[in-house]
Amino acid sequence: MWLLVVFCLLVGLIIGFSVPVLLPVIYAKYMSIAVLAALDSVFGGIRAYMEDGFDNTIFLSGFIVNMVLAAGLAYLGDQLGVELYLAAVVVFGVRIFQNLGIIRRYLLKKY
Amino acid sequence: MRSKGAQISIALVCLILGIMLAVQFRTTASIQASQSDGRVTELTQQLQAVTSERDALAEEVISLRSKLSNFRQTDQALADLQEEVVQANMAAGLMAIEGPGIILTLNDSPLYFQVGENANAYIIHDRDLIFIVNELKASGAEAISINGKRITAMSEIRCAGTTILVNRDRIAPPFEIKVVGNPDMLESGLLMAGGYLEQLKVLGMQIQLQKSEKVEIPAYTGGIKFEYGAPVEFKEKAE
Repeated sequence: MWLLVVFCLLVGLIIGFSVPVLLPVIYAKYMSIAVLAALDSVFGGIRAYMEDGFDNTIFLSGFIVNMVLAAGLAYLGDQLGVELYLAAVVVFGVRIFQNLGIIRRYLLKKY
Repeated sequence: MRSKGAQISIALVCLILGIMLAVQFRTTASIQASQSDGRVTELTQQLQAVTSERDALAEEVISLRSKLSNFRQTDQALADLQEEVVQANMAAGLMAIEGPGIILTLNDSPLYFQVGENANAYIIHDRDLIFIVNELKASGAEAISINGKRITAMSEIRCAGTTILVNRDRIAPPFEIKVVGNPDMLESGLLMAGGYLEQLKVLGMQIQLQKSEKVEIPAYTGGIKFEYGAPVEFKEKAE
């Protein structure tokens, strides 16, 4: 399981670095929020996997919807002149830390 | 529920996440690079702006320097002008003058005229003064006054009845003629053999000639009015 995660991540990174696709600067912010959402989803998924409460549909839908929602929120914030993406950053940051903490505890229990 | 599907979806999501991370990383890196490029561009622009500003300031310095020198020249011109004004005033008799010179005192003859003689021969006439003043001018007099009346270019010495008018002021004997100039020259001019003063002496006029190291001559106190005359080259002089 862990091997798979790390391996897939590495493959993704290699693909990302080798593919000569660059995001336009104006979308870089939304992309960063989407990355944050994706990270949150992945950690949430790993946590759920370890809690044996993993639901494939919830995981995938959460992954996609969170990404789009976060990016959309950032975009909306830009349109309104409110830095809404900060809300996404805070929420996702908090959740990532929570998930990481839970994962850590499980790992500690396990080993 | 550690199913195969869960692992597959996690793997897939991790793959996507990896791609996204990589792309985002590269984008951020390129943004930073472009920002640093922008920084270079900005600095270059600033350098150009500062350089052009410096050039402008240097030009300003040059123009200010030339202005300053112009002002100095103008000041010089003003000083020259002032000096010229002073000299003109001195020449016109509008300023009191002091310096070495002579003081000539003339008075009527104490001799009593004989019967049948003309009494006019024994008194000082306007003509006498005119001749003496003329002689003094010829001897290099720089300023002359008669009984405190400054002789100017427009001064008249005119007989008016029993008195003499100088600058439209009446004067009476004794006549004290003060002259600024080279005392020796003035004296020799006056005492020239066959000169006018000698004739006056023959007539018995009381003449006192005194050289002085410091003769004070007052300024002309009357008004100067040009009713009919106007300067011809005024504009040229103004420039």
